[in-house]
Amino acid sequence: MRIAPRRLLCLALLAPAGLSAQARYSASLGLLGGTPLAHDQVFQEIDVQQDLAPTVTLGVSFPVSKREYFGLETALGFSGVTIVESGSPDVMGPSFTTLSLTGSVDGPVIGPLRYRVGAGILKYLPDKEGIFAEGGPLLLVLTAGADVRLVTRGSFTLMARVRYDYQRFTTDQLQFSGFSRTQDVHRLGLGLGVDYSRP
Amino acid sequence: MNRTLFAGLAGLAILAACSDIVSPVRNQRYDWRLIVAYDSAGPRLDTLSFHWPRNDIPVKMWVEDASDLKARAREGIALWKDAFLYGEWDAKLVDDSTSADVIVRLLQPPPLRAGAIRLAANVQPCFGATDVDTGSTRNEIRLPIRSYVFPSLPNDPGLEDCMRHVTSHEIGHTMGLFQHSTDSLDLMYGVPAVDFLSGRDVGTAENAYHYKPDMVPVRP
Repeated sequence: MRIAPRRLLCLALLAPAGLSAQARYSASLGLLGGTPLAHDQVFQEIDVQQDLAPTVTLGVSFPVSKREYFGLETALGFSGVTIVESGSPDVMGPSFTTLSLTGSVDGPVIGPLRYRVGAGILKYLPDKEGIFAEGGPLLLVLTAGADVRLVTRGSFTLMARVRYDYQRFTTDQLQFSGFSRTQDVHRLGLGLGVDYSRP
Repeated sequence: MNRTLFAGLAGLAILAACSDIVSPVRNQRYDWRLIVAYDSAGPRLDTLSFHWPRNDIPVKMWVEDASDLKARAREGIALWKDAFLYGEWDAKLVDDSTSADVIVRLLQPPPLRAGAIRLAANVQPCFGATDVDTGSTRNEIRLPIRSYVFPSLPNDPGLEDCMRHVTSHEIGHTMGLFQHSTDSLDLMYGVPAVDFLSGRDVGTAENAYHYKPDMVPVRP
């Protein structure tokens, strides 16, 4: 696949005016789960496990070649953490909200299946208490995934989505509390969405 | 398409080289445990730890509605709540004292009840005290825990600051920090003079809430 940089730039600048006719809009709702956000030790080992996060995603994409699209997606996720401490029952910890913006390229694989690869930024928004009280820095997030076209009715297509993303997690409060380095976090999500393209 | 896909996956693999967050060493602390004398076989001392169980959070706190004591208590709760990363402790003010886990009064501490232990902060122009009743077994905390804050010099210009320090200090005792620090920069110093938590205060609270408790709260 070849995407001329000049063409990409033009698409980004002129997309609302010139390419709206070819734009594909999407909205989806999914659930994201992932690996622990942090490990700690105060007498016992403590794992900060993230709960399943309902996530709303909105996106727009434009064709950049005969087969590929370049798209921007923004996702808002709501979740909490469970504190797993050896020798103690698991307890609910603080809640958190994430906001991400990713750019990605998607293209066909086979039949109704399309791949998606991208990168972007993710932020943990400030919350009421605990490790998310001050929010987090802008984190780089790398994404990969697949979309499966389920049903098409006119301009609308029902899609099933699988998303994987990777980030190096920390928050301002963790850093303030003396935590160093970052935690590799892998997340996997499933969702259902609707794509809309102008006829 | 394949080149993009493989480049993307390769990029993910490179960046996904293992990295784990490193937690701080939490050795900044003072002893918070309650030292109890018992004499079933001659005078002996026992050192006991307590923290509120997770299912009792938020702790129900009744605060006398007098002389801004409620506002001072809210400040103290917010201060201590911020010491924790995982929501280990929190408290809320309640209207009904009969259901309260902790009672804070604007009152000169009454004579100590038999079997109870008094933790007192003697500051001018106010002072405070918290009474802890460990019951007959030493392994129980009889509720409610009672704290007292009292303005000994009502017209002193430093009274408001004193009330702020002492109220937060007494709330620290009700959390389970049953000893005084020996460092004057700690809120839990015996004569509290600061209205913020030091690193040692935070470290002690964190340690106390991840240390196996010896005592359980018992309601009347």
